[in-house]
Amino acid sequence: MQYLLDLWRNPARRRLALTILSGALILISLVAEYGFGLAATAYPLMVAAALIAGSDVALRAWSSLRSRYISIESLVTIAAAGTLVIGEAWEAAAVTFLFLLGATLEARTMERTRRTLQGLLELAPMSAIVLRDGRQVKVSPREVARGETVIVKPGATIPVDGEVIDGRAAVDEHAVTGESLAVEKEAEAPVYAGTIAQNGLLRVRAEGVGADTTLARIIQRVEEAQEARVPVQRFIDRFARWYTPAVIGLSVAVGLFFGDARLALTLLVIGCPGALVIAAPVAVVAGIGRAAQHGILIKGGAYLERAGKISALTLDKTGTLTEGRPRLTDVVTLAPVPTVAGKAPALESEGAEWSMAQRDVLRWAAIAESGSEHPLARPIVAAAETLEVVPQAESVAFSTGRGITATYDGHVIGVGSSGLMDELGIEVAPEARSALERLRHTGRTAVLVVLDGLVLGVLGIADTLRPGAREAVEQLRRAGARRIEMLTGDNARAIAEAVGVDAVQAELLPDQKLEHIRELQRQGPVVAMVGDGINDAPALATADVGIAMGAAGSDVAIETAPVALMSDDLDLLPQAVRLSPMTLRIIRQNLALALLTVGTLLLGVLFGYVDMAGGMLIHQLSVLLVVINGLRLMRA
Amino acid sequence: MKTLLRSQELSCPSCITKIERSLKSLDGVSEATVHFTTGRIEVEHDPERAEPGALVEAIRSAGHNASVAAF
Repeated sequence: MQYLLDLWRNPARRRLALTILSGALILISLVAEYGFGLAATAYPLMVAAALIAGSDVALRAWSSLRSRYISIESLVTIAAAGTLVIGEAWEAAAVTFLFLLGATLEARTMERTRRTLQGLLELAPMSAIVLRDGRQVKVSPREVARGETVIVKPGATIPVDGEVIDGRAAVDEHAVTGESLAVEKEAEAPVYAGTIAQNGLLRVRAEGVGADTTLARIIQRVEEAQEARVPVQRFIDRFARWYTPAVIGLSVAVGLFFGDARLALTLLVIGCPGALVIAAPVAVVAGIGRAAQHGILIKGGAYLERAGKISALTLDKTGTLTEGRPRLTDVVTLAPVPTVAGKAPALESEGAEWSMAQRDVLRWAAIAESGSEHPLARPIVAAAETLEVVPQAESVAFSTGRGITATYDGHVIGVGSSGLMDELGIEVAPEARSALERLRHTGRTAVLVVLDGLVLGVLGIADTLRPGAREAVEQLRRAGARRIEMLTGDNARAIAEAVGVDAVQAELLPDQKLEHIRELQRQGPVVAMVGDGINDAPALATADVGIAMGAAGSDVAIETAPVALMSDDLDLLPQAVRLSPMTLRIIRQNLALALLTVGTLLLGVLFGYVDMAGGMLIHQLSVLLVVINGLRLMRA
Repeated sequence: MKTLLRSQELSCPSCITKIERSLKSLDGVSEATVHFTTGRIEVEHDPERAEPGALVEAIRSAGHNASVAAF
């Protein structure tokens, strides 16, 4: 009894039970019809089947009528009741049973489209271990207070946004960044809710909890986007509001005109707008959900639609096409280098990035720069540190805009421009000048390295291209972007050539970037801008499709950019652009399928080729086809 | 207090009004929004008078299963 009560209280299972029960009754009734001395029971059994399946439909029709909405259930209920009255129990049973079966299957497949987001939701942490009064307490992630210490055990999902206090672990951040490679985290590193500590224990200070986490914001944005309607959808919503009453009107008119109640009731069933109503939403939900799985946040169907029609694309250079971090790229050696006193010469290792002579130039430069905070110092020191421990200089003197001089172990080192050399009274040989010139020409920042008045060599430093930048630009072009430009605040034609863009707009200030976007908008319909989200904000907002890179953890980008790539992976860009026409295509296919089905069935009914049960079957099949067609996006 | 619930089985856009009405008819619920495409249900309520379990029950009485979600 308790079981039956539970069954009744769970709406989905109740529907399934009613479907099975009425289906079984229909079967028994059909068998009884063929004799076995039971022919008399066939008709009552069929009526029972119609009533059982119809009860659920009628109940739902009633509750939507109460909220002043004529639903599809209303059409089916009227039709089924009418056929029962005119004594066609088989038709009534078939229609209600097929409708119920269709609704059950539809709910299941709809659930699968919604599941595109389920991946993210499943990553949402279920519990958190918090340190309270020196004891570990297990609570819901919602109940963690800001500033509390959370313990994350190996294999556990991090329940909050925060900062690592201590411990060390490789963290799988794909929920937030879409990046499948784990990231090593230790003290002071930021961590996000929903990411997984694969090995090792972390103690984390909670900074964002529940709805105030990056994961929650991503989920919320994706859902809001899925709920936002594409223009074609708004049209259908208005259409559906009038369509259902119109079908009732038409049926009544046809019934009265021909004096044929059966024809009128069949029209009612055939006219159900089921497939039409869900044609667009099912594709939008699947498309946006699929993008989210890849780490691409799209803020609504409208942007999904526009992203496929991009006429011009502008890419910000620094931080988008390049890594945004200068790196040492060239070491030119000009003179043999005296070894540092007390240091045994290292063995030349095979396949090393730098030769021994280059390493020595680098080493001297790094010693001088080790005490400097200058942006160019960092890449030099970082490159040297991958090779050996860099000793600290004994004294350092800065020459603003020119370079640095330092002393170490009785030697005087200078690193800087030719201006610094003039200041130091060192003559720069033509050989060194041409090396400087050559590096500058290829977009590098070049500095001279001198030791005790002798020019040892020249270092080239540049912001390097992200891996895959060239391929991404090529794919974008293939995905339909006709004109691709690079915007940059500095002068970097070398990078532009390496990436293969059509034009470079160099040395632009932020508002000039914005003005340039406006200029492009005058030339073509849809201008997209890709930037790293912070300094490009005005241009991103002006563009028809603003795309923010590496948005994980940056609230500004998640909140403002219509499209946000959660990681710095440029490959995501062509993927986002390709998903758009695919979604639109599926919406169009779905609409065509729905209209064609209703149209053909209507004609079929009017000319007497289609009966009520057959029409219902085809109608429900068309609904399922529309949902399954939408599901194709999930494999895109 | 705002509580987020999720239902995976909303299959007809017309069920939305039904669920919203049955939530709003609860004592202590001031606002309820049902999003059809995602199955997300947002409820603004006074937890003293209407606890989350009662919200789930109200949605069930309107014909659908739902559960409280933290994210």
